[in-house]
Amino acid sequence: MKNIPHRFLPLVLIALVLPTCPWAGPLLSVPPPASPAAQGNPAGLFADAGPQAAQSSPASSARQDERVQKIIRAIDEMYRSRTSHARMEMVVVTPQWERTLTLEAWTQGLDKTFVRILQPKKERGVATLRLKNEMWNYLPNTNKVIKIPPSMMMGSWMGSDFTNDDLVKEYNLKDDYTVTLTVPPEAEAGLLYLECRPRPGLPVVWDLVLVAVRAVDDLPVWQKFFDEKGKLMRTMNFRDIRAFGSKKIPSVMELIPQKKEGQKTTVRFLDIEFDVKLADDVFTMRNLSRPL
Amino acid sequence: MLMLRLAFRNIFRQKRRSLLTFLTILFGFVLSSLVIGMTFGTFNGVVNTFTRTNLGHIQIHEKDYLDRPALYRTVDDIPRISRLLGSLPEVEAWAPRCYAAGLASLGDRTSGVQVIGIDPERENGASRFNKKIKEGRLFRPDSYREVILGTGLAKYLKARLGDEVVIVSQAADGSIANDAYRLVGLLESGSVESDRVAFYMPIKSAQELFALDGRAHEIIIVARRLDQVDALAGRITAGLQNPGLSAQTWKEYARSFYQYMMRDRRSHRTMTYIILMIVAIGVLNTILMSVLERRREYGLLKAVGTKPRHIFALILLEANILALLAVAAGSVLALALNGYLAVHGFRYAQEFTFGGMQLSRAYSAVNVDTFAIPAATVLVFTSLVAFFPAWKASRLDPARTMRLH
Amino acid sequence: MNMFLKLAWRNIMRNKRRTIIAGTAIGIGLAAMIFMDAVMIGFTNDTIRSVTGQFLGEGQIQAAGFRDDMEPSLTIRGLDGVVADLKNDARVDRFTLRILTQGMLTSSAGVNAVLVVGVEPETEVYLSQIDDVLIRGDFFKGSSEREIVIGSKLAELLEVDVGDRLVLTVPHAAGAELSQEMFRVSGIYSFNLKEMDGGQAFIRLAKAQGLLGLNGRVHQIVLAFKNKMTGQTESDPFWGKYSRDGNEALGWVKLQPQMKSILDLMQFALVFMALILFILVSIGIVNTLFMSIYERVFEFGVMRAVGTRPFGVWRLIVFEAGCLAVLSIGLGLVLGSVITLIFTRLGINYHGVEFGKTAINIVYPVFDLRQFLVYPLFVLIFTILSGIYPAFHGARLVPAKALRRTM
Repeated sequence: MKNIPHRFLPLVLIALVLPTCPWAGPLLSVPPPASPAAQGNPAGLFADAGPQAAQSSPASSARQDERVQKIIRAIDEMYRSRTSHARMEMVVVTPQWERTLTLEAWTQGLDKTFVRILQPKKERGVATLRLKNEMWNYLPNTNKVIKIPPSMMMGSWMGSDFTNDDLVKEYNLKDDYTVTLTVPPEAEAGLLYLECRPRPGLPVVWDLVLVAVRAVDDLPVWQKFFDEKGKLMRTMNFRDIRAFGSKKIPSVMELIPQKKEGQKTTVRFLDIEFDVKLADDVFTMRNLSRPL
Repeated sequence: MLMLRLAFRNIFRQKRRSLLTFLTILFGFVLSSLVIGMTFGTFNGVVNTFTRTNLGHIQIHEKDYLDRPALYRTVDDIPRISRLLGSLPEVEAWAPRCYAAGLASLGDRTSGVQVIGIDPERENGASRFNKKIKEGRLFRPDSYREVILGTGLAKYLKARLGDEVVIVSQAADGSIANDAYRLVGLLESGSVESDRVAFYMPIKSAQELFALDGRAHEIIIVARRLDQVDALAGRITAGLQNPGLSAQTWKEYARSFYQYMMRDRRSHRTMTYIILMIVAIGVLNTILMSVLERRREYGLLKAVGTKPRHIFALILLEANILALLAVAAGSVLALALNGYLAVHGFRYAQEFTFGGMQLSRAYSAVNVDTFAIPAATVLVFTSLVAFFPAWKASRLDPARTMRLH
Repeated sequence: MNMFLKLAWRNIMRNKRRTIIAGTAIGIGLAAMIFMDAVMIGFTNDTIRSVTGQFLGEGQIQAAGFRDDMEPSLTIRGLDGVVADLKNDARVDRFTLRILTQGMLTSSAGVNAVLVVGVEPETEVYLSQIDDVLIRGDFFKGSSEREIVIGSKLAELLEVDVGDRLVLTVPHAAGAELSQEMFRVSGIYSFNLKEMDGGQAFIRLAKAQGLLGLNGRVHQIVLAFKNKMTGQTESDPFWGKYSRDGNEALGWVKLQPQMKSILDLMQFALVFMALILFILVSIGIVNTLFMSIYERVFEFGVMRAVGTRPFGVWRLIVFEAGCLAVLSIGLGLVLGSVITLIFTRLGINYHGVEFGKTAINIVYPVFDLRQFLVYPLFVLIFTILSGIYPAFHGARLVPAKALRRTM
C-alpha cells in the first residue's frame, strides 16, 4: 500500500508542466484583460490626464461609452488576425531556475497552431502542433511524435505562468465583460483606467480586471487581476511598443503571479507578421518532425 | 510456618478438588497467554509484511515533500546519509529513490506516469523489489536505459518486453526531460492504482534525465525489529542534523494503513478482554466453589479452637498457592507454546498475498505481556475472590455449619 | 423417569448457592460467547465499511472497460433497465448513480488536477461518507447547480473556503472539446487522509452530465446490499445478473483485492480467538460440573444406601446437569442480550488514535440468529456431556465409603 496518490493520473497533469504544450496564445484572441490594441486614436476624447469626474450629462456619458467601446475593440483585436507567423523569446523565472526559450510560431484562426523551439540547443527542434483540440509533440532527442490526450492540455504553457486558458480563451471584453471607465486613487497622468467585470457565470476565477491604457494610443500598460475578495492575483505588464507591419503593439508581455514568490514569465516578440500567406503543410505531422 | 504446611497439606489431601482448580487456572492462563501472543504476533506479521515490501519502516524526505511533492524538494548529500545509516546497527536495509511525474509514450498511446528511480540492489534488500517482478527481469547493474513498468501501465500502453518507451517531462532545471528506454520487466506491487502509473528506472538514469545531480527524493529504511522503529527514527533525525529533512515512521506516512491496523488491534483488545474476563470468572467460580464446599471443614476447625484469622489466612493461602502453582506451570507451558509458535508458526488455511509478499504462517510472540497480563489477572482475581468467602468462613458459627451437609 | 427429573430439579433448587454460582458461571460463559460473536460481526462490518463506506461502495456496476482508463464515453448500457431492475431487486439496500471524469480545478491561487464525481445527493449520502465528515458548509443542501464540494487538502492547496469561486475544466465526452464552468465551494470535507481529501471534487450529477454532454447517461452505479457478505462473494448470482450487455458488476473484493486479503487475515484472527473462548467456556463448564458433583459424594452415598440403583444415580446427575444447563442458558441469554443491546446503542469507541471523525469509528455489535440457537445448544449439550463422567463416578460409589466422608 505505497503512499501514492489514489488517482495519480490527474496529479500528473499539474506536476507535468507540459513543456511542449504551446498554444501560441499571444497570437490569437487573448484573454479579456490581455493585450491592448493600438488602434491609433490619437485624439482620444479624454486624452488629457487629470481626475476624471463622473460625467453627469448624457452627452458626455455617451462619449465616454463610445470611448470605452473603442478601447475594448482595440484590446480584443490587438493580437488577433487570420494568420500569423512570429518569433519570440520567453524567459521563465522560478525560485529554482531560470530559462530562456526562443520560439517560432505559426497560427491560423483559433484552431491551428504550430510552435517550434529554436533555443536553447538542448531543446532545439522540439515542436508542437495543435489542431482544434488535438495536440502532438515532436521530440528530436528521441525522434518520436507523442499525441497528447485532450485531458492533459490544461496545464501551464511551456512551464510558464501563462495557462492555456490565457492563450486560447474565446472570451473577449466586448461580449463577456462589463467595462467602465474608472479613476483609481493612484491614477497617473496620461493613463486611462478600465474596470472590467466578468458577466455572471463566466468561468473565470477573477472577479475584476483593472486595465491601464495609454490615453494617447489606447495601448495597454498593465492589467491587474483581482479575486472576489479584492486581492491582487496577478499582474500583466506591457512594454516596448513596436511596429509590426501595420500594427503598433507592445512587444513585451510580462506576467507576474502575485501569490508565488520569485516567479515571473516574460514574452518578447522579436518579429510578427500578421495575415501572411502560410504554406499548406505548416499544420501537418510531417512538419513536426522536419529537421531544422 | 504452620499455616503454610497446613495449607499445602490441605491442597494435596483433596487431590481431585485441587487438581480441578489447578487445571482450570492453568488452562485459563495458558490460553489467554496464547491469545495475547498470537494477536501480538499476527499484528506484527501484517505490519512487517507491508513495511518490508513496500512502505519501509522509516522514510526520509525533504520536510515539505510529502505534503507538497515537488521535483526540487530533494534529499541531498546521499553519501553522508549513507554513512549515517551504515553506522546505526538497528538499520537492516535502506534504499534511495527519486520520483518525478511525466508522460510515457509508446506508439500512439500516451499515459501520465510516475517515474521512480531506484537502486536495484538496495531496493531488493529494502522492499524485496525483485520478488514483485512478474515478467521479465531486473535491470542489469551497468544498464542505463532499462526500465520496468507496472503491469497496469504496460497493459494500457500495450507494451511488451523489449519495446522502447519514451519519457517526456520537465527536469529540475526547467528544461525538457526526454529520452527513450527499453522495457525489460513488468512489476506487480499489489496496488492496482500504483501499477497503473509506475515507471521504474535505475536511479542514476532518473537523476540524469531530471537533472537532479545526485539528489533523491526519498530514502526508505527497514529496521531490524518493529519495536525499535520509533527510537530509530529519533536517532536518525538526530544524526541527520538537518532541519530541512524529516525522518518519519510508517505510522505517519502510511496513515491509512496505520489506522487500519489500529482498528484491527482494537478488535483484538476487545476480544482479549472478554477472554480474560472469562478466565477471571473461571478462577472465581473455581475458588468460590471450593471454599464454599468446605464450610463444614472450617466449622470443625473453629470448633477445635482455630482462631478466625487463621481460618481466613488458611483459605487465602490455599487459594493463592494453587494459583501460583498454576501460574508457574502455566508459564512454562505458555513459554513453550508461544515460543514454538513464535519460531515456527502454523500454517494459515489459505495463503495471503500482498504485493510480492506472501503471508503463509501465523506467528506468535513471546514478551512480557504474554506473562504479565494473564498472571496479573489470575492472581488478582484469586485474592479478590477468596477474600469474601474466607472472611465469611472465619465468622462461621461452628455449631451451625457442622450440621450442614 | 419423570420422578428423577423432578428430583433433579428439586436438587438443583435446594442448594441455591451452589446452583447460583454454577449457573452464573456457565451463564456468563454463554453471554460472553454471544457478546463476542456480536462484537466480531461488528468489527468485521466496521472493517468492510471502512473499505467500502467511504466512497467505494460494496459493489459497482459500470460499462466493461471503463475501469481501465475512464474513457468518458463508456457509459452504462441500458441504464433505465438496470436501474429498474435494481429498484426491484430485494438484495439491494441502496444504490446511487455517478459520473466520473478527470478534470482541472482552478482557483485564484492555483490549479489542481482532480477526479470529478457527479453525484445525486439524495442517494449518494447513503453510499459514501463524504457528508458525514463535512467540516464546513453542507453537502448540496442548496438549490444551485453550481455547487462543488471538495476535500480539506484540496481547499488548502487552492486556498479557497466555502463560498469561493472555482473554475472546473473537463474534457467533453464526444470528441476532444473542453468544457469549462464556474462553481462555488459549498462544502468542505475531511477524512484526515491525503488521498481522499486532496484528489476529488463533487458536483451535481445533472451538471456533470451537462458538462460532458452525457445527458441521461452515467458511468457508475454504486451499491450497498442488505447482506453485507454479497460484496465479498464473487459467486453470488447478483454479479452474474448485472454483468451483461456490455456492463460489468463487481464486488468490492474485486475492486480492491488487497483489502480482501487483509479482511481474511482479520477473520482468521477473530475465529482463532472465538475458538479459544469456546475452549475456555467448555473448561469452565467441565470444572463447574465436576466440582459440584464431587462435593456431593455424601449425598449420593445416602441415595445409594437407601437403594437407588447406580443407573438411577447416574440418570439423576445427568438430569441435574441438564436442568443446570437450562437455567444457565436462560441466564446467559438474558445477560448476553442485555449487554449486547447496551453496546448496540452505545457502540465501542476508542479515542486517541488520531481518527478523523469519531462518528465513523464506533463499532456496533450485531445480533445474529446463531447466537441464540447454536451457542445455547452447544452449552446444553456440552453441559450434559460434562456431567456424564462425574455421573459415572457418582454411580459407582460404594455407599459405605461415601458415607464415611464427612468433610
